[in-house]
Amino acid sequence: MTSSQQANQNRVTLRRTIITLLVLVAALVIVVGGAALLGSERLPVSNSLCALTTLGTRQCGLTSDHFDILFQIRLPRILLAAAVGGSLATAGASYQALLRNPLAEPYLLGVSNGAAVGTMLALLFFGSLEWSRPLMAFAGALVATLAVYRLARGRVGATPERLILAGVIVTTFLSSIIVFVTTMMDATRIRSFTFWLLGDLSGANTGLLPVPIAVAVVGAIILTLNARSLNLLMLGERDAFDLGVEVGRVRMAVFLIASLLVGSSVAASGSVGYVGLVVPHLTRLSVGSDNRISIPSATLGGALFVIIADTIARTVIAPRELPVGAITALIGAPLFIYLLKRV
Amino acid sequence: MFFNSSRFIKSLSLLLIALLSVAACSRSSAILNNPSTNARRITDDAGREVFLPAKVDRVISLAPNLTEIVFAVGAGHSLVGDTTYCDYPVEAKNIEKVGDTQHPNLERIIALKPQVVLVSTASQLEVFTEQLRSHNIAVFITDPRDLEGVFRSIEQVGNIVGYVEQANALVSSLRARAMAVDSALKQSPRIRTFYQLSAEPLYTAGHDSFVTDLLRRAGADSVTANVPGAWPKYSAEAALAARPDAIILPTGGSMGEGNGTVAKALASSPAAKSGRVYKINDDHLVRPGPRAVDGLEEMARALHPEAFK
Repeated sequence: MTSSQQANQNRVTLRRTIITLLVLVAALVIVVGGAALLGSERLPVSNSLCALTTLGTRQCGLTSDHFDILFQIRLPRILLAAAVGGSLATAGASYQALLRNPLAEPYLLGVSNGAAVGTMLALLFFGSLEWSRPLMAFAGALVATLAVYRLARGRVGATPERLILAGVIVTTFLSSIIVFVTTMMDATRIRSFTFWLLGDLSGANTGLLPVPIAVAVVGAIILTLNARSLNLLMLGERDAFDLGVEVGRVRMAVFLIASLLVGSSVAASGSVGYVGLVVPHLTRLSVGSDNRISIPSATLGGALFVIIADTIARTVIAPRELPVGAITALIGAPLFIYLLKRV
Repeated sequence: MFFNSSRFIKSLSLLLIALLSVAACSRSSAILNNPSTNARRITDDAGREVFLPAKVDRVISLAPNLTEIVFAVGAGHSLVGDTTYCDYPVEAKNIEKVGDTQHPNLERIIALKPQVVLVSTASQLEVFTEQLRSHNIAVFITDPRDLEGVFRSIEQVGNIVGYVEQANALVSSLRARAMAVDSALKQSPRIRTFYQLSAEPLYTAGHDSFVTDLLRRAGADSVTANVPGAWPKYSAEAALAARPDAIILPTGGSMGEGNGTVAKALASSPAAKSGRVYKINDDHLVRPGPRAVDGLEEMARALHPEAFK
């Protein structure tokens, strides 16, 4: 391939990336607006749209209760759903590229459970310090990731198969810790904790909300900037090394960023399942497996997926609510089976 | 001939004998639950017939409210097992523990040879109940959905342990206290009230909860009275839009300091702004037992202090 051909191809990729991302951003804006209009309380549509387009600077004839519902309850929750979905899907997409394994996913690798154990310890020992939750969740996710990686690295190096097996072992070990601690908890805390374990966005905390959003945006950008290396890594670690990829550095970067992504979303919302598995598969099917497109597409697609799932969770039996994890699993499991049959 | 006929008949008869013995076995186990050997037949709140011996003095309770009822009718000595949550009266703590309300230990229950196991549907033990029944242990299920249902539970338990008069006396004194609240509140306006079972996630009392009846009797209109279920997880925006004038926080008992603050969605409610947020001992409000009337009186006095001067 000559260098002019290469440059030409890069231009095509860049254009395709920009178009794809613009389409997804437009879809995200529409879905955020639609989700903000839906809920157990019926809000006047045109007034709400007016207030939304002014970003809450004008009340547009909404009563103060309706205004509070829109901007204090619904929007924070929708933004949290977007951050959680984006984080989990981005983490899943980069694990799948790095480990060359379509099943690599925060849950299967034990990263989510590591974050859950971290959050649980933060709740038990530093209950009043809200900041301790995302920090401990990040620490838990990172420890689980490194444990899985160390377990998987035999004399012949970390094969994808060994990694998944190590992930299953770490996951079940951490699950037993979670079960043990919840059994020791008193009855009143078990209820809120089991709900949280299933993935629940109702605790959208406006104070801490910027954390998962910032982590999702920054994490997705850093991983997208590493997408070229991840593309080469998909050829195999040795080939990537021969082509000049600093394999160890890229691997550590992915582990760190993905742990941060998973940690911040688990601390905020518990374990929302299937996002890291289903969304990257869907986006790869539609935009191809070039990580420069598929990773940012997975970020936006994950945000869309969880916003839609949570809108269902909070409206389908209103004024009661379901945990969003139940909806993502309900949508995700059949979709995944369909994808498996197609591949 | 494709097969040896005599061997065929032999194996067929062996099979028949095997089938017959299985049938005989299942019949012999059925005898244990037979009305002829068990003198009494009563119907529980799940509509099932429960066969009991004439005298019951070995009872296991799998819920704190049922433990309280057994003690309150004076039959505490017949309790041979209860749960780790059973902490009232203090004697209940010394009864052998068979696990908590969610995870009772089947082996220990069988070893204690109870004549009946008392189950509250609040503890959601459907599968476990079937296991107990398959071991020929009588299971009595209570499912009170209002204060009259609590009184019925007291009468049922009194009947089971043979303390009918004591149970009837207890029920009539409790009913008299409930009626006293009723007549005290005759002139009082009803107050739109939100019952916050927990703040995060937000849980409340729904249509099927006996607390909804207690609230009504305490002169409150629960804003979640028509929400399906007993303890639904509730939408924050619906709670905000309901604009309750009073909020009940069950806290300070087994709950400890938990649930001591109003959920964020209710922070701007008329109730929070005017300070009409009332903490009531959660043990009186989540256990459908004799102390539910204490909870009723405490809520009525908190909501309508003018009526109890």
